[in-house]
Amino acid sequence: MFSKLLPERLPSTWRLALLQCITIATSIALCLTLAGMALRSDLETISRRILLDDLGEYSSVYEMAGLEGISRMFVSGRHENNEGVRVTSADGTIVYRECLSNPELGFPWPALTSLRKLPEVKGVKAIEHPGKQPHILIGRVFLPDGKLLWHGRTNESDRGYIEHINLYLWYAGVAAALIALVPIFWYAGEVLQPVRSMIASALALARGSGRERLVASSAVPELREFAAAFNTVLDRNEELTGELQAANDQLAHELRTPLARIRGNMEAFHDSVSEPAARDSAARALDEIDRASSLVQTILTVRAGEHQALALHREPLSIRDLLTDIVDLYTISAEDRGVVMKLDVPEDRTLMIDQQRLTQAIANLLDNALTYTPSEGSITVRCEMGEAECIIHVEDTGPGVKPGEEENIWMRFVRGSAASAKSPGMGLGLSLVRAVATAHGGAAGVNNRPGGGADFWISLPSGA
Amino acid sequence: MRLLLAEDDPELTRQVVACLEKAGHEVACYERGDEALAAAVQKAFDVVILDVNMPGMNGFQVVEEMRAKEEIVPVIFLTARDGVVDRVRGLTAGGDDYLTKPFAMEELLARIDVQLRRAQQSGTGQRRIGEWFLDTRQRRLRKANGEGVDLQPRECALLELLLDHPGRTLTKKFLLDKVWNIRFDPGTNVVDAMVCRLRRKLDVPGHTTSIQTVRGKGYVFKAAP
Repeated sequence: MFSKLLPERLPSTWRLALLQCITIATSIALCLTLAGMALRSDLETISRRILLDDLGEYSSVYEMAGLEGISRMFVSGRHENNEGVRVTSADGTIVYRECLSNPELGFPWPALTSLRKLPEVKGVKAIEHPGKQPHILIGRVFLPDGKLLWHGRTNESDRGYIEHINLYLWYAGVAAALIALVPIFWYAGEVLQPVRSMIASALALARGSGRERLVASSAVPELREFAAAFNTVLDRNEELTGELQAANDQLAHELRTPLARIRGNMEAFHDSVSEPAARDSAARALDEIDRASSLVQTILTVRAGEHQALALHREPLSIRDLLTDIVDLYTISAEDRGVVMKLDVPEDRTLMIDQQRLTQAIANLLDNALTYTPSEGSITVRCEMGEAECIIHVEDTGPGVKPGEEENIWMRFVRGSAASAKSPGMGLGLSLVRAVATAHGGAAGVNNRPGGGADFWISLPSGA
Repeated sequence: MRLLLAEDDPELTRQVVACLEKAGHEVACYERGDEALAAAVQKAFDVVILDVNMPGMNGFQVVEEMRAKEEIVPVIFLTARDGVVDRVRGLTAGGDDYLTKPFAMEELLARIDVQLRRAQQSGTGQRRIGEWFLDTRQRRLRKANGEGVDLQPRECALLELLLDHPGRTLTKKFLLDKVWNIRFDPGTNVVDAMVCRLRRKLDVPGHTTSIQTVRGKGYVFKAAP
């Protein structure tokens, strides 16, 4: 729920802080409301008591000094222009009046008829003034001569007092909320640090050879448990893939000897028959045996490359010579198909590379480009020299790679949807390209060119 | 020529022996590495052909022991291991050539020829093709009347290779290795195209071609009778 409330890309620390902020603000608001309510009710009780005391006092002053005494007492006792006094005779006519004299309040003294109807709580009638104005408490007492004395007070000064306190409470609340954020940031940062280092470890795992393991910081025991469980799964996977690979390698290796026997017999057969059709069949069979052997070899190479086990025989080689030789190898094929081959190596450099493997990788890209480039198209082998790396591009004017297929065409036995049943290939060529590039410490990929066609590239570190 | 073959697979041994004997060689066979080593040191052979994975002792060790005992006979490895590193391992151990299974018998024969010729220090071979003479230094084909055709480096290397093995069918794999220095199938017709170009330069229309295609196997140079 928490993650749904807050933007998902916000880091956990910020989310926690935000949540904390909301919690603190809500509780402060609640406290302030409750404190305000308690204060208001206390102040009202006090007001009522004062009013009742005053009424008693007015009554005794009246007894001693009549209306004159009341007037004197009112003037001397009035502090903040928030009081009023009225004396009415038994028939309701006003005998004496002192008004609420604060003109800003504009709080009218209620009409007697409506005042009489008001309910009384502990001898005091409370009048809520509509709006935000302060309300007025009015109490009455029967004077000894039968007259009625009304005494009223507004709670204006109480309100001011409450507002004042509220303001300071709010200041304190906001300050408390901000101060509370500091430990949140500090603690969340502290707690999340191991998670972050674990994420880094997992990312390294994804790039690694499959032998790395998840490392959890010792600070958080739960994370350690998680890493241990995760690593157990990895161990089991590695064990299984290891067994599978060993079986694969053994199989590929063991296939060579029977293939050699078959080839020998087929060759003997080819040489001993004179019937043209039989000879032709034998020749085809020999071709197929060679293709099968080459496939077995490619599988072994790709497999070794995938597990950083591809042994390279590096030697210093001129990249221009290497590319010239490869282009030379395909020029005739290209001419036959009406495709123009271009070589663009503006700058030469000597790299420590495995000539056979790299030639095979680039040859695979060229073979691929030739398969998909229509006649009158062109294929450019371009070498781009950078500070840190040398990138070999094989650019064609074919249909390009379909969006979404840029990655999966590099997988074993996957062929792009542009591949047709007519074009041969097992879908191992590009896997081999990537295996060789990775073994050299580089990478391989494909982009579609802006003008159409694919741009397959192999990058090699300059230090290679 | 006397050859030593050390190979633990009986079927393959049978085939190789049949092929070598047909080509006029005399073959002594061993199934174990240590036996092969003993024989190679004691008896005189012209070429030794060794499998790498053998009981007793592997092929690399056999060669190292042989070289340690100053036995200089040329050695060709025959193996299911196909990696540049294995190849380099074989050659640094003291081997002279390396052939991966499965292989064409003719290729084995061609490689034996190369070793024999190197051992005999002759190396010139047939340099005449019909009316043409091949000048490898200037990469030129010449006729007695002074007429000449220039050859490109690879054309010259290919022609030289074919001339070195008259009557022997050379596989595309062997030609790619020797002329282009490529030990995988590049899936192009570069060999056929190069042979085609050579024929255009060499042959007189209407005459039988001197470089003949053997379907499913490769190319053979037939010296003019």
